[in-house]
Amino acid sequence: MPHLADLYRSASLLVQNSPEAEDLVQEVYLEAWKSFHRFEPGTNCRAWLFKILFHRLHHLRRRLIKTSKLEAFATPADEDNLMAEPPIPQEIQDDDILRALERVPLEFREVVLMADVEEFSYKEIAATLKIPLGTVMSRLSRARKLLRQELAEVAGLYGIGPSNERNREGNSA
Amino acid sequence: MKVLNFDSKQCERVRRQLDAYLSNELLVETTSEVLKHLESCEACSRELGSRQRVREALQKAATRQLPPDHLREAIHRRLRSTQPRMFSGFRATTWAVALASLALVMLAGQQWLGFERGRQLVASVLTLGVSDHLHCAIRGRNYPELANPPEQLGEKLGPQYAGLLPVVQEKLPGFQLLEAHICSVPGSPRRYVHFIARGQGTILSVILTKREGEFLPAGRLLVAGAPTGVNLYKAKLEATSVAGFETNEYFGFVVSDLGQDEMMQLAASLAPALRDALDGSAGTEKATPALLLASVSVDSNRGVE
Repeated sequence: MPHLADLYRSASLLVQNSPEAEDLVQEVYLEAWKSFHRFEPGTNCRAWLFKILFHRLHHLRRRLIKTSKLEAFATPADEDNLMAEPPIPQEIQDDDILRALERVPLEFREVVLMADVEEFSYKEIAATLKIPLGTVMSRLSRARKLLRQELAEVAGLYGIGPSNERNREGNSA
Repeated sequence: MKVLNFDSKQCERVRRQLDAYLSNELLVETTSEVLKHLESCEACSRELGSRQRVREALQKAATRQLPPDHLREAIHRRLRSTQPRMFSGFRATTWAVALASLALVMLAGQQWLGFERGRQLVASVLTLGVSDHLHCAIRGRNYPELANPPEQLGEKLGPQYAGLLPVVQEKLPGFQLLEAHICSVPGSPRRYVHFIARGQGTILSVILTKREGEFLPAGRLLVAGAPTGVNLYKAKLEATSVAGFETNEYFGFVVSDLGQDEMMQLAASLAPALRDALDGSAGTEKATPALLLASVSVDSNRGVE
């Protein structure tokens, strides 16, 4: 099963629910089998499968929005682009970065995952998500910044995060 | 609240480039400018370090998300159950042919991906040579109008590399060796042994740098050539051509704005001589059967590829 690990990894980080991620990946392969005649030999098979993944994900999201089970994409205020850089811990724990990622809105999370985890080029991301190259660049920049801010908060570096509470609890125990 | 916490306009400009730099999406020239600034700006270097740490932490944490063992079987089961609906008018043999076709297509995709990654690997290694040539020889003009005497060049190179001077001069007929030194590109600890020569109306660099665990891929990127035992790779960035090779411990580059064929001829002559001089007897023992050539294309939007 080609690229199963890559697809599952992205799906689970995007939908943040294991059974849903499994369903999503199954849908991807099902769709790939159905439409394999559309795949052009010699082009990038991995990118094609990811394109299907995001198509399914966006379809699912639109359906959930229609049935009011979900809010539309939350867009952080523009102002945060100009905020000072958040402090980043020297040692970053896996759980902290994953919790920070969960807090990044989906439209930004998907771009940072494609660029930093799956290491697709800007051009491939633009083609997969069907957005202009400039949007990829601005969303990625924004996504990384949001991730750093959430990480600083999760890791307790602003003095108000859960890790800070965790540390206090640990100290008092 | 709006806080602009930058030291200068230059810092602000470089910080805007850091995301593209992290994604390896900058042109070689812009990368060089960013690296130059980072070398002299501690605040921006720290900022880059923070961003790299977050990126690496995300990659590491994401690899923990492994598909459960039952998922593969669940996909197969679902595909089997969907089969009659999907191919209601098909015979079983047609279905089998379709499955086999998809498997082949997937396999071709994987091979293509491997090839693409190999191309990117070659590009990233060859970029080392191009960066140093552009930074030190072209922009920095770190060579005299009249050639430095050989003994002075020998002193600059030190005992480890002084012996390479006659090798380089001999293998560059029609070129005058103007300069030789050890240099680096701002922002990187990597050291380059840099020979700068003038000839055929242009400036040419011969650059060596120690391999730090990297290697150049073989396979489909290579085309058999003359039997000199060193693999050669080539790329072109706008007017700059680079031919690269690897020895047991070093990468070597020949960089100039000459045509790619001329560059490959020079590299084919230089590579075995430099390999023998650098690796000594170990180089000859490990000689490969043929001179192999790899060609890498260039996308002007993304730099050397």
